[in-house]
Amino acid sequence: MISINMKNVKKSFGKNNVLKGVTFETFEGEIFGLLGPSGSGKTTIINILTKQLAADSGECYVAVKSEEIGLMLEYDGLWGNLSSLDNLVVFEDVYKIPHTRTLESLESVGLSNVKKTKVDSLSKGMRQRLVLARAILHKPKILFLDEPTSALDPVTARGIYDLIRKLRDSGSTVFLTTHNMEEATNLCDRVIMLHDGRIIEQGAPNEICDKYNATKTLPDLEAVFVQLTGGGLQ
Amino acid sequence: MMGFKAIFKKQMKVFAQSPEVLIQFAIFPFLAFIITVLIDFEAMGAGMEELPGMSVELAVMISEMMAGNMPNMVTMQATLFAGMALIPAVAGFIAEDIEKKRLRFLMMAGVKPASYLLGVGIAVAIIAFVSTVAFAFIGEFSGVDFWIFTGAMMSGVAGSIMLGATIGILTKNQQAATALAMPAALVFGFLPMIAQFADGLARWLHPLYTQQLNVVADRLNGISVDTQLWQSFAIMWVNVLVLGILFAVVYRAKGVRDL
Repeated sequence: MISINMKNVKKSFGKNNVLKGVTFETFEGEIFGLLGPSGSGKTTIINILTKQLAADSGECYVAVKSEEIGLMLEYDGLWGNLSSLDNLVVFEDVYKIPHTRTLESLESVGLSNVKKTKVDSLSKGMRQRLVLARAILHKPKILFLDEPTSALDPVTARGIYDLIRKLRDSGSTVFLTTHNMEEATNLCDRVIMLHDGRIIEQGAPNEICDKYNATKTLPDLEAVFVQLTGGGLQ
Repeated sequence: MMGFKAIFKKQMKVFAQSPEVLIQFAIFPFLAFIITVLIDFEAMGAGMEELPGMSVELAVMISEMMAGNMPNMVTMQATLFAGMALIPAVAGFIAEDIEKKRLRFLMMAGVKPASYLLGVGIAVAIIAFVSTVAFAFIGEFSGVDFWIFTGAMMSGVAGSIMLGATIGILTKNQQAATALAMPAALVFGFLPMIAQFADGLARWLHPLYTQQLNVVADRLNGISVDTQLWQSFAIMWVNVLVLGILFAVVYRAKGVRDL
């Protein structure tokens, strides 16, 4: 069942055409990756899908209400002078979910030991995990993750991958942006590659790599991207 | 009112865990207490007769004038509190939530803008009520006077919360909020305080809710005032109504959806 559908969406900021007719769809229970260099329009797509921004033209459909969406964006939106737990309790009250669920969320990202620590005292990686805990607190049907593991060490990142897979297995759609090709290859069921406001390739990571007979000198998807655009993703 | 309880609880926790925020609400009653306890206005001018060329009669006369003309310190600090503390505080809370994108997450989670603003506003009003009770205690208002003073103060608090919230949703960050809130605080807090020394200014400021706060407090302190009590309250409530309409207009025009 389709969870997100974008048809020929265009968006400009002044004379800068950020999206030049983007079309794709995602399905329930898949991890969908959005790959592209900085400025390629990834965040604009997330902002349009979460109704923070209106498209200039085209159609955009998200199958769930905004309350059923989980967000982990480039900014954390945390209250620095409140504890980790209190930050989650705000949303526990909004979603009217049991307190045990909040504690489970903190546990799932490995932050139980700092639940009473003020957010201002947490490291960047811990804050990122807390934002992920907030995003999954209400078991969202669609989860938007913007660079979810960018500030995490490899071991913690692996734990987060497991968490994302569990969410996918429970039927949630996970929509993530990443620069990390290894992450995209290992985690995503399907990806789209965005370049200069257009989708240049889409499909399952392995299928894309096979299609372009990707070199093994670089992580496969990045090799494809280099082949298609003449430039890297970083 | 989806999300009201969550926002109210959050705001109370912000107060409880942020002493620097609470200082804004405690400093004015504290100053009123210190000034009231430490300065003996009756004794002001004592020893003046020892100044060269000063006669005893003149020294007594100057001393009596100073004591008689000094405004009530509780009234002065209460007016300052209602105008100068609350407007920047409320504007700052809201602007900070917009700037740090917290409001965006709350709105996405389904919190209605009205619930958010009500949650913040009521939390601020409760803390301001504690300050008001402290002012009433220091000013020795009791019985009916206590309730009149509290009613006048809370009307002023309501006006300042409306104005602060309007400024908060008009601005995108704390710096811009402060830039707008300070002039408003000076007009609504500082000028009425100065008006206690200047009758001409007091006449100009007559339509302001904070000036009427002065008038009500003066009446309770036994100072003769021209305005009837009901007129003072009517002016204050008209202020709250006008500021409420201003808030609604800005809210509709901009709204916290535009984050």
